Amino acid sequence: MKLAVDVRRHAYDDLLVLSDVSFTVADGEVVCIVGPSGCGKSTLLGIVGGLVRPTDGTVATEGALRPGTLNPVTFVFQDFALLPWRSVRDNVGFPLEHHRLSSADREARVSDALARTGLADFAGALPKQLSGGMRQRVGIARALAVEPALLLLDEPLSALDAQTRELLMDDFGRLWMGAGITALYVTHNLDEALRLADRIVVLSRRPGRIKDIVSVGIDRPDRTAVAAAPRLAVLRERLWSLIRDEAASADREMARA
Amino acid sequence: MTASRSRQVGRFAWRVGVLLLGLALAGGAHAEKLTVGVLKLASSGPVFLAQDLGYFREAGLEVEFKFFEAAQPVAVATVSGDLDVGVTGVTAGFYNLAGKGALKIIAAQAREEPGYRLVAVVASRKADEAGLKRLEDLPGHAAAVTQVGSTFHYSLGLLAERHGFDIGKVRVVPMQSVPNVVSAVKGSQVEAAILPATAATPLVNAGEARLLAWADETPWQVAVVFTSPKMIGTRRDALERFVAAYRRGTEAFREAFLAKAPDGRLVPGPQADRDLAIIARYTGQSAESVRGSIPYVDPQARLLVGDIHRQVRWYQGQKLVDPGVDPRGVLDLSFVPGHLDVPN
Amino acid sequence: MPEGQALQPERRPVAFRGGGFLPRTSRAVGAIGFAVVLLAWQGALAAGWISPVFLPSPVEVALALRDLAASGELWRHLSISLYRIVLGWSFGTAAGLGVGSAMALFSLARSLGMPMISALFPIPKIALLPLLILWLGIGETSKVATIGLGVFFPTAIATYSGIDNVSRTLIRMAQSFGIPFGAIVCKVALPGALPSILSGMRISASIALLLVVSAEMIGAESGIGAFVLSAGNLMQTDQLVAGVAVLSVLGLLVGAALSAAEKALLSWR
Repeated sequence: MKLAVDVRRHAYDDLLVLSDVSFTVADGEVVCIVGPSGCGKSTLLGIVGGLVRPTDGTVATEGALRPGTLNPVTFVFQDFALLPWRSVRDNVGFPLEHHRLSSADREARVSDALARTGLADFAGALPKQLSGGMRQRVGIARALAVEPALLLLDEPLSALDAQTRELLMDDFGRLWMGAGITALYVTHNLDEALRLADRIVVLSRRPGRIKDIVSVGIDRPDRTAVAAAPRLAVLRERLWSLIRDEAASADREMARA
Repeated sequence: MTASRSRQVGRFAWRVGVLLLGLALAGGAHAEKLTVGVLKLASSGPVFLAQDLGYFREAGLEVEFKFFEAAQPVAVATVSGDLDVGVTGVTAGFYNLAGKGALKIIAAQAREEPGYRLVAVVASRKADEAGLKRLEDLPGHAAAVTQVGSTFHYSLGLLAERHGFDIGKVRVVPMQSVPNVVSAVKGSQVEAAILPATAATPLVNAGEARLLAWADETPWQVAVVFTSPKMIGTRRDALERFVAAYRRGTEAFREAFLAKAPDGRLVPGPQADRDLAIIARYTGQSAESVRGSIPYVDPQARLLVGDIHRQVRWYQGQKLVDPGVDPRGVLDLSFVPGHLDVPN
Repeated sequence: MPEGQALQPERRPVAFRGGGFLPRTSRAVGAIGFAVVLLAWQGALAAGWISPVFLPSPVEVALALRDLAASGELWRHLSISLYRIVLGWSFGTAAGLGVGSAMALFSLARSLGMPMISALFPIPKIALLPLLILWLGIGETSKVATIGLGVFFPTAIATYSGIDNVSRTLIRMAQSFGIPFGAIVCKVALPGALPSILSGMRISASIALLLVVSAEMIGAESGIGAFVLSAGNLMQTDQLVAGVAVLSVLGLLVGAALSAAEKALLSWR
């Protein structure tokens, strides 16, 4: 599914948050959005997902949906957003409950999502019994169960430790990248963006504007290889130089506020 | 207990202090202090008169009033030693306390007496329209009282005996306070109610209730003067002087308000207006409303002893007073000569 | 640094300074404490330190309770009071849940409800008794209404603040999956507010027990509250304390039931 984002202006009361943010995402492409704290990354994702009404702007998708797709545009949240009173299985099944599905179909979708995310043995557990990484796997399983066409990931790894992050990035590659699912991925972690993205949209500090759009241009599987390291370092340096001053002044601005 | 004991110690020390001060100032002659619990009702008139006309002072007493909203706390405060003397109506709760040897009745205050209207039985408008016209129709209906075991409850019991209906068949509904009873009658929530004249008369005059009967047909002892056995043991002299001065008050009360012409009309005494003003001042009511609620008080403060016995037995029959309570044990007849209707 | 050389002369052990702030409850200690109080009470009366006029002995109270139970009076009073409590509490809770939810979900209800609750909650319900009698009579309605009114406010406040404190992310998550409004309320907002609602219920159940005495001031011939009131009026102190003991046992039972409910319903926390 293709995505066209055209947010001319977005403001809370008098505070301008986003200005002239226009870009497109191709079918099956992974686009990361990076930028300093408070630049409106998450707001932008909310607008794309239809949870925030933009002051002035439009978001459109284009392309045929697979027949099994129940929720074309699906979120994965930073703090997992699991219902703490439901078991893993019931959390994954939650978005299916208001769809007309046979109970066999529903169970098949849940079991399949649990199996793919390695959660089959934890189906009866409550979220409080799981580690952070396992909780985010539940969040991903829940997103996969509705067979999304566009995934909106809002800093999905930032609540996790570095090792867990590595493991989940591997899972991402295996679970949905290259499976024809388009993704818009918000992060403040440049290494994460360089590891996962086809293109990286760099936003300025508030009001968020597009400073640059950087193509990574290395095959995803090759990026963990030692040979790719120098090229990635150059890209990282370029991203950092785009962000550094913004991040520094955003930091001071936050401190004053 | 320890609190009240320390209060007693405190009061004792205070008394000694007052005594010493009195001795210093007056060189020997001092007024003995008595704390008296009363309700702000016209029926407390005799004590107010005895105070205001100086009878207590002349008896060498310095009487301090403590005012209460209901009879029960007066009895409790007398038991605890916060009051030396109480002057209020007698209830089943009073007899239960007195039956434990904590209180003694020593003189009379208000009583029901034919021709002096203190308590009324009224029917609500709805019940009146539905045919509740006579006292005899009460069985099968609900009658509101302030509390179970109150003087109003006993009034109803006496009326039942006299009119030959079964009080067991009347649903006696306790409403806790006179305003609540009035509310229930106004809204026709109950079919009947027993109310003091001050509350019943406005209801009847406004057409919100119908008078079924005045409860003045059978004379009975509504209110008394009482003290604790400990007071009798330790301060008998002060109590005797109190009763003597109180009886001057009851005599003044009779002269002012209770005399009747041969045709049965009440004839105000020469000091009626002055005494009415005194009582109005103490009760915080208008002279008019005091005049409307003047009860009969025996001029010599003599008790209807037989009725006290009958009350205890009646309450015991209603299971409101413990069966072990002996009416003789709650009375001390030695303070007033010539009590009335004394059983053998 | 060479081991133990520089350290040796001034070697000081680091004293433990953590611990504490972890009080535990022991049922045995509670029971023993209760027994000691009862024994001291009985002893003080037996020794004559306390006059029986002021306080009945535990034995007298127990005998009064036994007589009440044997004559069937206890059950008669208790059953009618329980009926009133259960009915009043259910109505108050249902209304409180409804109004509290509405206030948490809708701007109009919130704008209207907040000032009203602030204005009406602190009114002592007993002060309204004469009015309640006029409006609702002296039958069961006014008694149930008194209890219901007392239960309504804390439930509404607990529900409101409970839903208000449900994580916004959970609501956004449900919306992002296209879950309809009603299902979000039932499946996300209300379960999320359950801890707050249950602790509100703890308060409202105690209030219902407190108010049964007030409610039974209005023309009640039976009921545990009416029984306590009439024992007070009649100065039958053994009966009075027996009735109060029944009320406090009732309070303990309700507390235990709510703890069990919390354990069962909130195990996910």
